[in-house]
Amino acid sequence: MTTAPTVDERSAAVIAAVETINPRWVLHLPSSTLKTIVGHFLARDGIDGFRCVPIPREEEGVGILSGLALAGVPAVMIIQDNGIGNMLTALNTFPQPYHLPLLVIVARRGGLGEYNSLIHGISERSQALLDAAGVRWFQLDATTPTERWTDTIVRANTFARTTHRPIFVLVNLMDG
Amino acid sequence: MGGTSAATMARPEVLRIVDEIFADDPVVLTLGGMIREMLAVAGRKPNHLYVLDAMGLPAAIGLGVALGIADDARHESLLVIEGDGSTLMGFSTLSTIGFLRPKKLIMLILDNGVYLATGGQPTAAATTDFAGVARACGWAAAWDVESNPATLRDALLVARDQDGPLLLRMRISTATIPTGFFLEDPVLLAAEFARWLRDGA
Repeated sequence: MTTAPTVDERSAAVIAAVETINPRWVLHLPSSTLKTIVGHFLARDGIDGFRCVPIPREEEGVGILSGLALAGVPAVMIIQDNGIGNMLTALNTFPQPYHLPLLVIVARRGGLGEYNSLIHGISERSQALLDAAGVRWFQLDATTPTERWTDTIVRANTFARTTHRPIFVLVNLMDG
Repeated sequence: MGGTSAATMARPEVLRIVDEIFADDPVVLTLGGMIREMLAVAGRKPNHLYVLDAMGLPAAIGLGVALGIADDARHESLLVIEGDGSTLMGFSTLSTIGFLRPKKLIMLILDNGVYLATGGQPTAAATTDFAGVARACGWAAAWDVESNPATLRDALLVARDQDGPLLLRMRISTATIPTGFFLEDPVLLAAEFARWLRDGA
């Protein structure tokens, strides 16, 4: 019998991916699930030109990422899935029709291992919302060995650039 | 309160002056009506980013571009031209700009007090002190500009020579000029602007 990867092991795989992508900017919104990942990049904020900064709303992050993409500066946004609904209009009125490559890493909530009695109401609909908006996504969870997470996220970033559009990687850092 | 001067200038007149002073700088333009009027007075230009329909987003997009060109000596400043309604829709960006303080960012709010494109319904701008909000958020400077050509020209020239972020808010009238639809493929609009930022400046 094997033990499920821990939150820390899954977070480490995401951190390794972002380090490999080597963005100049990491934008983040608050999420307890993302505490380890965001904390890692906050500790590097201001070093060698790298910035890890908070943003107050997901759609604002879409705008900033889009501007950075137009200027050719690599960037990543890290959010939680209950904010996906906030950004749908922004996605479909700017980076999607303007063909801008964005990488958004999204922590899943509301599945197996969830402790919050409320959040599943919006989080369980994340994939359906993205599908309805025509946003391409990949998901990493217990069905994908953690050893493959880093490479998958790095390839998703490449895929955003080769297909000229936003790409979302949904990561279940909890027990699902 | 947000009001100082009478709204004597019309938007096309403002845009003509903006294009004259920021002729070779990146300019982010908000939404259809303003874009069509800029096209009418200045023609299509690769340094203009036409944000056709993303209401509330131009300031954030401009912030991203300004951060991206921070170390590019070819670009000394970037201008975002917003309306009052769209600024209010993306109001949190004023805080983020104050937090990140991009030196090259200038934002000009053309405040006609209404959602002009949808029939002239009033916005909340009449009781909103945009410049005061920007200063409170940590912008380098922000001020109201009298609605006349000479004052606008002076304000824009002063802004170009200062470290930002800077917010200028000017009342304008609701007068418009006849314009046709602008139906260009947004893929081309993004590609032309990105290419100009990279190669053409």
